[in-house]
Amino acid sequence: MDIQLKRGLLDVCVLAAIKDEDSYGYKIIKDMKPYIEMSESTLYTILKRLEAAEMLSVRSAEHDGRLRKYYHITRAGLKRIEEFREDWKEILSIYQFVTKEDQP
Amino acid sequence: MTKKQFLDRLGKSLSGLPQEDISERLTFYGEMIDDRAEEGLTEEEAVAGIGSVEDITAQILEETPFARLVKERVKPKRRMTAWEIALLAVGSPVWLSLLIALLAVALSLYVVFWAAVICLWAAEVSLIACALAGAAAGILQICLGRFWQGVALAGAGCVCAGLAVLLYPVCKAVTKATWTAGKKIMKGIKKLFLRKGNQK
Repeated sequence: MDIQLKRGLLDVCVLAAIKDEDSYGYKIIKDMKPYIEMSESTLYTILKRLEAAEMLSVRSAEHDGRLRKYYHITRAGLKRIEEFREDWKEILSIYQFVTKEDQP
Repeated sequence: MTKKQFLDRLGKSLSGLPQEDISERLTFYGEMIDDRAEEGLTEEEAVAGIGSVEDITAQILEETPFARLVKERVKPKRRMTAWEIALLAVGSPVWLSLLIALLAVALSLYVVFWAAVICLWAAEVSLIACALAGAAAGILQICLGRFWQGVALAGAGCVCAGLAVLLYPVCKAVTKATWTAGKKIMKGIKKLFLRKGNQK
């Protein structure tokens, strides 16, 4: 897949993974696994990027005697997901145009 | 490999990066291993699931901007003494100009390669232009009654068109090769910076 396109999609995937409740690194990967595989390094880069864009915030909380980082979606993050839904309609109609010759 | 061994190795192989980047990465991977272990995996299995240190390093390197690597490399690890600063300032006409010269040479080499690429494309464009002009002029001459001149011009146009077709894949291949070579060189330079950091 085109690398720019995939990058944008993965960003939205990670945002979607923390949309309903705050989550942590390993859980994000696990939740996404049935849909899309992602390595730890890739996730790290995406989390950094989203944090820089203020689409999520990070807090450390104690868990089982150690610290764990939890990621919380911000308003800008939710807006990004909304934008994606809008974009998707456009992508879908482009897809239909591209593949319309296949139909008799 | 235990978690500690893994993180030690990873930390060492990343030692060309800024310190805060390294510790943040190590915390991240450490947490990942702990979370995996919590699901019933042994420590070794949890570490194995993360991937090899080499793969992770390669990926991080690709994602790290060149400027960040250079900055870390240039930043002194300790405070410089007064006479070191003085020496640096006094010597600046020498080392600064040498550095600039070196950079200029590197830049001009890069420009030369791209100039060759641009020349090829220019040749391609002019061949296409000649082909079109030859055909047009040929038709015009024939219409004006100068049959043989027209045929000659159209023929020349055809030759140009043929050459243009032949040259096209060459242009494309050379452009691609220059592009990938540039990327490879960049990757090599980045690796060099990381390796130098490792020796410390």
